Amino acid sequence: MNKKTLLATALLALGGFSGAALADLPVAIAGPMTGQYASAGDQIRKGAEMAIADINARGGVLGQKLKLEIGDDACDPKQAVSVANTMVNKGIVFMHGHWCSSSTIPASEVYVDADILVATVSTNPQVTERGLPNVFRIMGRDDQQGLVSGGYIADHFKDKKVAVVDDKSAYGKGLADEMAKAMTAKGLKPTLREAVTAGEKDYSGLIGKLKQAGVEVMAYGGYHTEVALILRQAQAAGLKLTVMGGDTMTNAELVTAAGPAADNVLFTFSPDARKNPDAAPVVEKFRAAKVEPEGYVLYAYAAMQLFEQVATAAKSTRYADLEKTMRAGTFKTVIGDLSFGPKGDLAVPGFVVYRWQGGQYDYAR
Amino acid sequence: MSTVVFARHAMTPAERLRDAGWVAFVGLILGIPLVGLTTVDVGGRLAVGTRFGLLAAAVATVFAGRLLLHWALDQARNRKLARARASTATAADRAHGAQKAVMLLGWVALGASVALPIFYSDNRYVVDTATTVLIYVMLGWGLNVVVGLAGLLDLGYVAFYAVGAYSYALLSTQLGWSFWEALPVSGALAAGFGILLGYPILRLRGDYLAIVTLGFGEIIRVILVNWTEFSGGPNGISSIPRPSFFGLEFARSAPEGGQTFAGFFGLDFSPMHRLIFLYYLILVLALLTHAFVSRLRKLPVGRAWEALREDEIACRAMGMNTTNIKLSAFAIGAMLGGFAGVFFAARQGFISPESFTFTESAIILAIVVLGGMGSQMGVVLAATLLVLIPEFGRNFAEYRMLLFGAAMVLIMVWKPGGLLSHREPTVRLNPLGKPAAAKEAA
Amino acid sequence: MAYALQQLINGLTLGAMYGLIAIGYTMVYGIIGMINFAHGDIFMVSAFIAVTAFTLLAAADVSSIPLALTFVLIVSIFFTSAYGWAVERTAYRPLRGSTRLAPLISAIGMSIFLQNAVQLTQGARVKPIPPVIEGGIVLWDTPAFTVQIGWSQLLIIVTTVTLMAAFTWMITQTPFGRQQRSCEQDRTMAALLGVNVDRTISLTFMLGAALAAVAGVMVTVYYGVVDFFIGFLVGIKAFTAAVLGGIGSLPGAMLGGLLIGLIESFWAAYLWAEYKDVATFGILCLVLMLRPSGLLGRPEVEKV
Repeated sequence: MNKKTLLATALLALGGFSGAALADLPVAIAGPMTGQYASAGDQIRKGAEMAIADINARGGVLGQKLKLEIGDDACDPKQAVSVANTMVNKGIVFMHGHWCSSSTIPASEVYVDADILVATVSTNPQVTERGLPNVFRIMGRDDQQGLVSGGYIADHFKDKKVAVVDDKSAYGKGLADEMAKAMTAKGLKPTLREAVTAGEKDYSGLIGKLKQAGVEVMAYGGYHTEVALILRQAQAAGLKLTVMGGDTMTNAELVTAAGPAADNVLFTFSPDARKNPDAAPVVEKFRAAKVEPEGYVLYAYAAMQLFEQVATAAKSTRYADLEKTMRAGTFKTVIGDLSFGPKGDLAVPGFVVYRWQGGQYDYAR
Repeated sequence: MSTVVFARHAMTPAERLRDAGWVAFVGLILGIPLVGLTTVDVGGRLAVGTRFGLLAAAVATVFAGRLLLHWALDQARNRKLARARASTATAADRAHGAQKAVMLLGWVALGASVALPIFYSDNRYVVDTATTVLIYVMLGWGLNVVVGLAGLLDLGYVAFYAVGAYSYALLSTQLGWSFWEALPVSGALAAGFGILLGYPILRLRGDYLAIVTLGFGEIIRVILVNWTEFSGGPNGISSIPRPSFFGLEFARSAPEGGQTFAGFFGLDFSPMHRLIFLYYLILVLALLTHAFVSRLRKLPVGRAWEALREDEIACRAMGMNTTNIKLSAFAIGAMLGGFAGVFFAARQGFISPESFTFTESAIILAIVVLGGMGSQMGVVLAATLLVLIPEFGRNFAEYRMLLFGAAMVLIMVWKPGGLLSHREPTVRLNPLGKPAAAKEAA
Repeated sequence: MAYALQQLINGLTLGAMYGLIAIGYTMVYGIIGMINFAHGDIFMVSAFIAVTAFTLLAAADVSSIPLALTFVLIVSIFFTSAYGWAVERTAYRPLRGSTRLAPLISAIGMSIFLQNAVQLTQGARVKPIPPVIEGGIVLWDTPAFTVQIGWSQLLIIVTTVTLMAAFTWMITQTPFGRQQRSCEQDRTMAALLGVNVDRTISLTFMLGAALAAVAGVMVTVYYGVVDFFIGFLVGIKAFTAAVLGGIGSLPGAMLGGLLIGLIESFWAAYLWAEYKDVATFGILCLVLMLRPSGLLGRPEVEKV
C-alpha cells in the first residue's frame, strides 16, 4: 500500500494521471432496476454512469477513481433493506437513492447506522421529517409541489369543476392530498375526490364519473402511465380533460402513450435543468449518447457531481466531514445550485408549472 | 397414475440430433416475436428493430444445451442404475437412511445458524440476509401447518403476516407497548383473523378455498392501503420501536432514565449489536415454532390434521369434527404468521402495504411446496434457496428475477415432490426401520 | 339513467375481456385440475406480439383496418399458441401425476420467468401504439350526459360473443371436443379408449393461449398501451371470474367475467372506486358460501 501511494505521488509529481494505483472509491445508486417502475431505475442508471465516467475522466475525487455500485430494490421495502446492507458491506461512501419513498425510508435507517451519506430524489415528506442526519433530498417535497400545483389550479381554473385523483401510492396520495389542501385554501373546493389502482388498464368507470359530474380539470397524484391511459380513454369517451400532475409527468412515455391528448397535461417540476445554460454541454453529451436527459437522468448526474464537490471541499471522504460540508456549502450542479436546510431538504425548492406541447414540455404561461 | 417403464432403448446420435433440432426450431418460433423483433421508441413513435444475430445465438445455445442436457441425464441415469444394482438395501432401509441424513442435516444447520454471527460479526449483509432467511423459515413452518399438515391450500397467508406486523406497529407507536407485550397479543389477533376467515369458508373444497384465501389477502391489503387514518395508508407506519434486550436499548446514546446495551456491558457502540440480537431473536422464535409444531404433530390434533389431509371423507366417517380440526390448523398457522409479522415490523422499523402483496404469499407457499410438503427440514432448505437465489442474483443485475423464476420451475420439474419429499405420517403402526421387530410380534 | 347505461357498456366491455381470459383458466383447470398462474402472462406476451405486429404494419403503410386486424390476430394467435404449448410441455407435463400443488408452484415460477423475460427482451417501458379504431356511435344524447359506445368496444363485445358461440360448438359437437371432455372425465379411461391424452392436453393449452391472444389484441386496440406487468392484475381478475362462474365450466367463465366487469364498473361509478377490489372478492366469497362450486359449476360428487 505504501509503495503504491508513493508510486501514485510520484506519478502525480510527473504530471501523470493520479489515482490509478489507489483503490477505487465506491459510490452507489439504488432504485427499481426491475419491476413495474424499472424505467425510472433505467434513467437513474444512465445518468449516474455518465456522471461517473465524466468525473473519472477529470481524475476522480481526491485522486481516487469512483466506482459505481448499482442496487436493485424493485421498489420493495424489504429488498431495499437488503440492498442497503449489501452496499454497506461494499463500503460505499455515498448513496444516490433510493427512488421510491417507501424504499428510501427503511433503507436510510441502515445507512444512518453505517455512516453513509444519502442524497435522494424521493419526495415524501417523511423521508427527511424523521430527522436522520445523513439524509439529504435534492428534489422538492410533495407538500411543496402540491402547494404550487394546487395554487395554480385555483388561480387558473377558478370557475371549473376539479376532481382530485390519486393512485394510492405513498407518492401519489401525498401529492394529491396537498393539491386538494392548497386548492381549498385558495377557495376552490374539489368536486370529487377519487382513487384508482396503479397498474390497471381500465379507467372507463372513473371517466364516466368525471363526465357525469361535469369535471374538466383533474388534479392527479401518481405516475405518468396511468395519466396516459386516462387521457386516451377520456378522449375516446368524448371528455375533454385537463390534467395537473407532479414530477413523474416529465417522462416522455406520457406523450407516446397518450398521443395528442398529452397537450392537456400540466405538471410541476423543478426548473428545467435542460434549460440551465450551465447544463448545456452535459445535455449535449447525453443526446450524443442517445439518452434523452429527461426525468431523473440529470438528477442522478447532479447527485454524483454533488458528491464530487462535497468531497473535494471537505478534502476527505469521511462521513462526519462530508456531512458538515454538505450542510454548510452551496454546490453547483446541472440541476442548479444546491444548498440544504437543517432537515436535509433543499433550501430553495423551486417548483414551476409546465405544460406538454407537441411532444415537448415548457413552462406554462 | 403409475406408469411402468420398461427398458428404454438408448437413443442413437441421429435421433438425438433430430430431437435437438426440433427443440431449437421451437426456440426459434418462440424467439422470433420476443428476441428477434423488438419495438423501439423513435421520436415518440414505435418502430420495429431486429436482432437476428442475437436470435441465432439463442437458437444455437438451445440446440447445444439440449444435446448437453441429454448427455448429462444419460450419465446420471447410468450411474444411478449401477448404484441401484450394487446396493442391496431395501426401500425401507433407504428411507430410514434418508431420514437419518435429514436429522443430521438439521443438527448441522442448527449448529451453523447458532455460530453464524460469531464468524460474521462485522458483516451486516450476511447477518441480515440470514435474518431474512429465518423469517421465511418461520413463515414456512407456519404455513406448513395449514398446507403441509392439514392439506388446505392457502394463497393468502400474507394477510396474517400483515395482521401481526400492523398490530405490533400500531400497539407500539400508538399505545407505547413494548415488543414483548405486543408479541402475544398480535399473535392472538392473527389467530382471531384466521378463525374469522376460516369459519365461513372452510366447507369449500381445494381450489375454491385457495381463491377465497387469495381474495382475503387482497382485501386486507386494499383496506390497509385505503384506510389512512388507521394504518397510515400507502405511507405505511415508520419509526416502529425496535425490541430491547431486557430493557436495554440498542442506541448510540441512552434514552432518559435508561441504559444502552453497549453502555451496560461496557462495549463500544456498534450497530451490529442490534443486528446480531435480532438474528438470535428470530432464531429463538423459529426454534420455538419448530418445537411447538413438532409437538403438535404428536398430539391428537396434529394426527387429525394429517388424517384430514389424507382422506377427509374417512375422517368424517370416523366421527371427527372436520370443521374444528380445519379451524385449529388455520388459527395456529395464522398465529405463527402473526408472530413472524411482529418480528418483521420490529426489524424493518417501517412497514407499508407493499410488503404484503400476493407475490409474498406465493413465495411462502413455494417454500412449503419446494421443500416437500409437511417436511420441516425441507422448509429450511427451500427458504434458504429462495432467499439466496435472488441475493446471489444481484451479480446478474437484471437477470436476477428471470433466474429466480426459472429456478422455481426447474426445481419443481426435477423434484416434483419437493426437495425433501417423503410424505410419512408422523405415527404409523409398524415403525420404519424396525420391520424385524414387527414381524416377530406378529 | 344515461350514466348507468354508459357504465353498463363499459362494464360489459371489460367483462368480455375478463371472460375471454377466464376461459383459458377454466379449460386448463377442467382438463388437468391445475390453476395455470402463467396464463395471465401468456396474455401479456400476446399483447406484446400484437404491438410488434401493429408497428410492422404501420411501417408497411397498411391502412385498411380489417386487413390489419386480421393479420395481427393471425400472427398473435400463432405465436401465442406456440407459447402456450411450450409452457405446458416444459413446466407442467413433467409434473403430471405428482402432487396437486407441484404444477401450481411451477406455474408461479413460469409467471415470474415470462414477466422478466419480456422485460429483458422488450424493455421495461410502456409500449404505446397510435389509436387503431377511433370514434363510435352516440346512443343517447341527453343534455346532462352523452352515452356512446366506441367502435372498439363494439368490436370486443361482438368478437367475444362470436368466439363464445364457436367454442361452445367446438366443445359440444366436434371430435376434438369429445376427446377434450373425455379427458376431463377420466384421463386413464380416455387413454385406454384410444384418445391421445397428451395431444389433447397440448391442444387445450394452445386453445386457451389462442383466446388469450385474442384478448391481448383487443386490449392493445382498446387501450393502446401495453407493458410487461399487465398480465398479473388481469390474470388474477380473470381467475376470480373463472371461479365465480364455477371453474371448469365454459359458460360459467363467461358469466363470471361479465359479472366481475359489471361489479367493477358499477361499484366504481356509484360507490368508492378505491374499494372496488374488496367488492369483487367480497362478492366472490359470498357466492361461494352460498354455492360452493360457483354459479354454474357442477357440485362435486364425493366418491369414496
